[in-house]
This record gives sequence, C-alpha cells and structure tokens, in this order.
Amino acid sequence: MSTYTLSRGFKKQTHKPGENPWSVSRIAALLVLVVLGATWLVPFAWAVLTSLKSEADAGASTISLNPPDGFSFEAYRKVLSAGDIPAWAWNSLITSVAITFITVATSALAGYAFSRVSFAGKRWLYAAIIAAIIIPPQLLIVPLFRQMLAFDLVDTYWGIILPQAFAPAMVLILKRFFDQIPVELEDAARVDGANRLRVFWSIVLPLSRPILAAVAIFVFIGAWNNFLWPFIVTTDAELMTLPVGLQTVKSAYGLQYAQNMASAILAALPLVVVFLFFQRHIIKGIATTGFGGQ
Amino acid sequence: MTVFSASPAPPPRPISRRRLLSGAAALAGGGMLLGCAPSASRSAADLSYWHLMTGGDGIVMAGLVDAVNAESLGFKATQTVLAWGPPYYTKLAMASAGGRAPDVAIMHASRIAGYAPGGLLEPWDVEELAEVGIHESDFPPLVWQKGMYDGKLYSIALDTHPFVLYYNTDHATKAGVTDALQTMKSPEEFTEVARKLQQVTGKHGLSYGYLGDGSQMWRLFYTLYRQMGAEMKLVPGQQAQVDEAAAVKTLTFVRSLLDDTIATRSGDGGTATSEFLHGESGMFFGGVWELPVLKESKLPFDARPIPTLFGTDAAYADSHTFVLPRQSKVSPERRRHVYRMVGEILKRSVKWAGAGHIPAYQPVVRSTEYQGLKPQSNYAGIPEYVNYDPDAWFGGAGSDFHKYFAENVQNVYLGSGDPAAGFEGFVKRLNVLLDRPQPV
Amino acid sequence: MSTAIDTPPATTTPVVAEGKKQARRGETLSGWAFAAPFAVLFFLFLVVPALYGLYLSFTGETLTGSGGKLLGFGNYAEALQDPDMWHSLGNTLWFTLLSTVPLVVLSLAFALLVNLGLPGRWLWRLSFFLPYLLASTVVVMFWSWMYNPKLGLINGVLAEFGVAPVAWLQDPNVAMISVVVTTLWWTIGFNFLLYLAALQNIPEQQFEAAAIDGAGKWRQLFSIVIPQLAPTTALIVTLQILASLKVFDQIYMLTSGGPAGSTRSIVQYIYESGFTGYRFGYSSAISYLFFAIIVLVSLAQYRLINRRSAA
Repeated sequence: MSTYTLSRGFKKQTHKPGENPWSVSRIAALLVLVVLGATWLVPFAWAVLTSLKSEADAGASTISLNPPDGFSFEAYRKVLSAGDIPAWAWNSLITSVAITFITVATSALAGYAFSRVSFAGKRWLYAAIIAAIIIPPQLLIVPLFRQMLAFDLVDTYWGIILPQAFAPAMVLILKRFFDQIPVELEDAARVDGANRLRVFWSIVLPLSRPILAAVAIFVFIGAWNNFLWPFIVTTDAELMTLPVGLQTVKSAYGLQYAQNMASAILAALPLVVVFLFFQRHIIKGIATTGFGGQ
Repeated sequence: MTVFSASPAPPPRPISRRRLLSGAAALAGGGMLLGCAPSASRSAADLSYWHLMTGGDGIVMAGLVDAVNAESLGFKATQTVLAWGPPYYTKLAMASAGGRAPDVAIMHASRIAGYAPGGLLEPWDVEELAEVGIHESDFPPLVWQKGMYDGKLYSIALDTHPFVLYYNTDHATKAGVTDALQTMKSPEEFTEVARKLQQVTGKHGLSYGYLGDGSQMWRLFYTLYRQMGAEMKLVPGQQAQVDEAAAVKTLTFVRSLLDDTIATRSGDGGTATSEFLHGESGMFFGGVWELPVLKESKLPFDARPIPTLFGTDAAYADSHTFVLPRQSKVSPERRRHVYRMVGEILKRSVKWAGAGHIPAYQPVVRSTEYQGLKPQSNYAGIPEYVNYDPDAWFGGAGSDFHKYFAENVQNVYLGSGDPAAGFEGFVKRLNVLLDRPQPV
Repeated sequence: MSTAIDTPPATTTPVVAEGKKQARRGETLSGWAFAAPFAVLFFLFLVVPALYGLYLSFTGETLTGSGGKLLGFGNYAEALQDPDMWHSLGNTLWFTLLSTVPLVVLSLAFALLVNLGLPGRWLWRLSFFLPYLLASTVVVMFWSWMYNPKLGLINGVLAEFGVAPVAWLQDPNVAMISVVVTTLWWTIGFNFLLYLAALQNIPEQQFEAAAIDGAGKWRQLFSIVIPQLAPTTALIVTLQILASLKVFDQIYMLTSGGPAGSTRSIVQYIYESGFTGYRFGYSSAISYLFFAIIVLVSLAQYRLINRRSAA
C-alpha cells in the first residue's frame, strides 16, 4: 500500500558501480567529514569529561585530559541526590506526554474533519488556522500570562500544557495525509451503517499510524525542550520543567563546574538515549513534519 | 523507497465504544493526576524562602537556614536560590502577581519602591514582630525607615552593605600614609595619598573597576555626590530633582582619579580586585561583599568607610531585607512561622557579618563577638548616615536605573565624554521614565 | 459520547430537499464535533490572547493590573521613539542575517558530504543532528563552559597556540558571533536533515542522463542538484528567517542580552518590558510592531516563492 507514502525517505545510497570507492576526492571528502563530525561532538565530549572530574580539577585553569583526582561519578551522585533534577524530569515527562497526546488527538480529529467532512464554517476555520501558523507564540507571552492568571492556571501543570497542546501546522500535515487515503475504503464501511467516528477510529487511524508517530515525535521533542512558555508560567521551583529549572534555580554554593555539567548531561540524556534507539523513526519523523505543512 | 507506507487496512473492527470510554476515563484520571500539583499538598510547616545569594554569601545563608531548621521550632524552611538581579526580581514580581509567591523572600531595600506600591508585597505586623523579639529600636533609624512605605513596614533589614575603601597596610606604612588614610578630609588629600601609594607600588595607587558595570559607577558617584550635601529626588510625573553642579563636580573628581597613574582608566571589576590582591595598588573601592575574597588571600589590608572628602558624611549602601510577597491564600500558621524564622536568622546574623555585611540587628552589632570582627567593625558606623538609592519604581539594585547611569556616564569615566553632557543625558533618561505612568 | 453522530452517506439514496438539508446539518454538526477539541484550544490559547494582546497594546496595563486605561496609540508612539526598541530590533535583524546564511549554506554542504555514501554515514548524521535534540538550556550550559574566559576549552586551546584569551560573551564586538556559533552548532541538524531527505528524492535517472552527456561531478552539482533543491532551499530559508527572528532562549541565557545591550533580541525586549518592567501594555505594542515585520517578511517570501515556482 505504498500509495499513501509520506515520501522523503532515506535510501541506502552507496557509490555507483564502476566508480572507484577510494578516489582521492572521496578520501578528501571523508577527511573533511571526520573533522567536521568530530568538531560537532567536542562540546559533548568536553562536558562529559568535566562532569567526571572532581570540582577542584574542573575548576583548574589548564585543560587536562588526565586530572590529578582521576575520574568518578561523584558529581552525578551529588546532583541526583539533591533531588531537583529527578523532580524536574518528572514534570517534563508529565507535561510533554500530555501535550503530545492532546496535540496528536486534536490535530487528527480536526485534520480528518477538514479532509472529509464538508461543514459550514470549514473554510473560515481553515483560513484562520493557516493564518495562525505565522503567529509566533513568543509574541503572546504577555496576554497569555494574564489569561493564565485569570484562569488560575499559573504554576500548574495545565498552565504549562494547554497553551502548547495544539499545533495548526500538524492539523495541515494530517489533513494532507488523510486526503491521500482513498475515500472508497470509508464508503464501504459507511454503507454498512458505521458512523464517522467509528470509520475514523477503525479505518483511518490504523492507516495513519506512521504519520501519527511522526507528528507525536516532533511534538514531543518540541515540548520536552521548550523553554519560554514553561519559564513564564512557572515560578514554583517544584513545578518547573527540566530546562526551566536548570536555568532558573541556582546553587547556593556558587558555581560547581563538574556538577553543572553533570546536570546538563543528565538533562540531555533521556532524548539522546531515545534517539539512539529510534534513530531512523525520529529522523524520518522530523524530515516529514519539518516543513510544518508548508 | 517508501518510508511511511501505511500498513494494509485491517478488517473493520466491531465498534469499540468501550475502548473509547476507557480512553476517556484514563484522560479524566490523568486530569485529576495533573490537577493535584505538588505544591498543593505542602504542609503549613514547610516554609518556602527565596533569595539571590550565591558564592560566599550563599554558603553563609544556607548555614543560617540549616541552623534555624535544626532548632526544631515546628517548621522547616526550604531555600530556593535564583540568579541575582533582573532574573530574580522578575520571577518574584511574577510570582507575587500570580499570588503563589514564596512565604518569605530576600529583597534589596532599594527595590521596595518598585514592589510595595503595586501591592506585590504585604506589610509586616509590628506587634507580631515584637512577639518574636524584633523591635524598631533594635535597628538603626535610617535602615528601619527604608522599609516603610505609606506608613506601613514592608521590609525588615538583615544587613547594610555599603561601598567602602580597602587599603593595603604594608604599602601604607612604606608610603607613610597610615595616619593620612584615617584623617584625610578633602579631595586634594585623597589624591596625595593615592599618589604616594602609587610611588610605592609602581603601578597604581588605587583600584576601581567599573567598566560595563553601572552599579559600580553609581556606587562611587552617589557616595561622593551625597557628600556634597546634594540630593536626588525622583517623583513620577515631575522632572528629576538633581543638583547638577554637584554632579559635575563629582564626575570631574572621579575622572581625575582615573588617569592611568592613580588608577587605571578602564578597569572592570575582576581586573580591579585582582590588581589589589596582587599588591599592585594601595587602595581599592569596593563593596563590603568583596571582603571574603580579600580575606582568603592573606593580603595585609584593612577597611574603612569612604572618607568624607566633601564635608558631609555619606555612603552609598543597600540592605538585604526580608519581605512577604503577596500570596492569594495566606496560611496564618505558616505566617507565624515566618516571623519566627526571620527573628531567628536576625539573632544569628553575626554569622552573616562574616561575609562582610553590617548586621542591621543592633543587639548583634553591640555583641563582643561582632566588635571583635576586623575590619568589619571599622565601618559599623555607616548605617547612621547611610544613603540608599533614590526611591523609584525603576530603581534599585540590578535595575534599569543603574544601567542608564552606565549608558550615559561610562564615557565620562573613560575620559572621552563631557561630565555635564553625560549627567544631562542620564537625567533626560530619568525624565522619560518619570513621565511614563507608574506601572506599579 | 456526543461526538458520535450518525450521518448517512449522501450518495446512497436519492433524498428529498428536506432530507438533503438535514444531511447538510448533520455534516456540519459532525464536522464541528471533530474539529471542536482543536478549535476550542485554538480559540482560547491563540485567538483570544492575540486579540487580548492587541487590546492591551492600546492600554497602560501593568503586571499588577493597575493601569488599564486606554492610551490610544501612545504605546506605539513611544515604542517608535525608544532607542532600546530600535537597538533590539537591529540586533535581531543582524542575528538573523548572521545565522541564516551559514545555517543554510553549511547545512547544504553537510548534507551533500554525508550523501556521498562514504563510510560511517550514520555516525555523521548522528553528530550533526544530535545537538538539535537538546534543550536550549543544555546547549547554553555546554557553551558557557566552552566560552568560559579562564577555564573554557576554547581559550585553553588558544592559549596552547599563544593566543591571548578572548572574552567570548563579555566583549561587545565578539558576543554576537559567539551566540551565532552556538546557534549554528545547535540547530544546523534540522536543516541538514531536510536537505538530506530532499537529496535522496532526486531521481537517479537524472544523474545517469547527465553522466552520459559527460557532465562532471561539479557540473552535476550545479546543473542538477542545486536547481533540484531550489524548492527545498526556498522553504528552508523561509523557516530559518522566521526562526531566527524569534530568537530568545540562547541569547537570554548566554549573555542576558549584554554586554551593553549588544545582543538583546526583540523577543527579549518584549519579555523585559512586560515582566521585568511590568509594562504589559507597552510590551504588547512592541509585540504587534514586531508581528507586522513578521507578516511583511512572510508575504515577501510567499511572493518570491510563488513567482519562482510559477516561472
């Protein structure tokens, strides 16, 4: 059923037959890649290295790959036992999962309505959604904060979730995907008396699993990493998400470089691990949704 | 090559109403889960306490909080430390506006004017304070008064932290200015002392770092400006009331010191501290909060108030104070604990003096333990004549006010700008702000 | 389950006018039922704040709710004369220019390199893309440490070569460049991935035809690959400009907009006017001025792209 493809796949492309795989230019290109790839990993490596040093060695002014105190997980142990990071990670997880679930559900339902149902006001709503894509959420922080005060949602999970739990671009992406599904598949079921919701649930959704996964991945990464809105709407340190807590709450004991880097690594870890396991899915998901329905 | 080729359509399933319903139930359950935020369950014995102290100050403050918690007074304070300056004050204002502020917080005295009028703070009850042993008579009058707004007490000072003069005692002896350092009373005498010290160090006589730091520029300027008996009043809707002649005189004098001989023309805070620490200068203008770093270095030094060079005793200072940010639901029990906690910290504030600050609570200042602290007790008299920043909603520590001062006056300090023009630019900026409707 | 609405398919039986009307009403009901969850969120958290913000921009409203009086265009007039607003806007445009060019050109170069089919493909893809998965906070923690004037890796390595330490984030002449470098490292993976996907969609036959014509690799690059990528490039440029104009996180956390306001972006100025300066009305007015710029940019790009695809 490759008719409903999302395209933009990644072919396993190797050199063409009859071409010398080790020509000078290819070796030069490989060298450039090695240098660039290594450069891109340096900030990670330096952070990991620092996080494994003692505070005294981390604060020493010479670069040392072989610190006098050796390497240990002491900084990680301290950071984890302080308790803030696990709590923030939990907040991030709850809010990101909720945002992803609500966004995918509402976008799929709305995308289906735009694709299949001709209802009064549809064109008007559709135009509004397209227009909304260019409104940067950053410009709404002040009125939204005011609104959240009025709804009494400042410093609550819902206050973090709701303004992030819809995505006009995702509605467009899903609508376009649903447009590709032959309507005959649904007609048969509808002749049998199935209502729209049932058709959507039992025919359309199963066909759309890959695109739903792509949207979910994209939304989840965005929600997990989002800074500005959670930063605005939370002032209670216990409710902050990982990126906000790390930025806002300081240590009374001043800058401790090894612990600082250990915190950063711990905060980066969940998505990096997930990425290593689902690399292909995530990359395809982003390549598919990246254009935001344009 | 297809990536998201959809899987073949499964046979239509029987209506899955039950599945939908269970899904809805899960969502509703999730809603309840989300509804009960962690803080909702906070007990009245848990006090949330915000402050902006890190480094040396942070360690002392954490020790004080631990010591009070260890007394088992029926509450436990948890401190949250936020980044100094605008990030802290922005979050605190937002938390107060949202009504979910911490139970107690630290605020610079100079910031009260930006918080109290807008209802972001709640006043302290003087009678309840008396019950935990805090009385007006225990504080220097100027320091206590600074916490008053509209007849109510909004802040209780923990300390006063002025801008002072440090000097290298070895260099002073060699230059023969040990006595002059105590007796100098005019700009000429000060300049002479500085020159003599410069001859001893061979580099500079004085260290003063200000580059890119409006607060540092302002601290010295305001100290000397007030020594001339000049005032600065900022009333919204009116022009700023300033003494331009005194301001120009002050700026001219400061600039005369920054001549690359007495002091470097373009020094930042770090450079100045390190210069003084390495014995490359004889005097150093700095805040009392620099004291821990200087002490650690084993440098032979002492400290005193900035000498009165223009007739009137004056010293720029600010105070760390305790405030009650506005909460929409106040727990009387927790509030009682807060009073107790503040009282206990004040009584232990001799520890705080270790970080250089002058305790505001006079019983501590009078104690032999504090009187024995050197050089802290040398400048303990400053609170009697302290000068806080002029009151304004846009003023205070780490505020735009200091930033505007830097924008207009930095090139005067650097020697390229005209003092009168620089100060006029600053006043003009203030007038723009005063002309705006006050947002609090 | 009020969302389950039966709507008989319109094509099954011929129906009288009344029935048709009913069916239409049914469609409308069911359409809105499907769209409602989204529409409610969309309305409450986008339409309402957008309109409320517009209203606020004509008032003197503050954080504490003390100044709700209507001011007409007062905030707008003030913003247009506010040197800080212009400075922030200038910084934003400068950042957009400095970041967009390398983020488009280098991402294409990286994608072309990786697409050559050299060994270790997955590793290169990983190292270029991985930073994109990090939160801005983590990125800034990494890079503040890299840029640390005394202890950072960059100055440490420079010192090995006898180069004097650079105040990467404190020197007004360098700070913006440092911010751009960090941004490049963080976000290039996204454009890189889009280019890589597009490259793989270029039909193989085109290269074969060109090879038969005797076109060399470089000729193929400029005569086939880059023209084929034109629509992708147009979209990447569009997305990149809009993303760069909205910059806030990394600047706010790396430099707080300093030194001396030399890196403060317009979104940061909106944040500061509103939350640090308490002036909600004024902040909203700047938001709308900035929004006008975004609309202009979007329209310009829309016209450019449409003209190109029409040609």
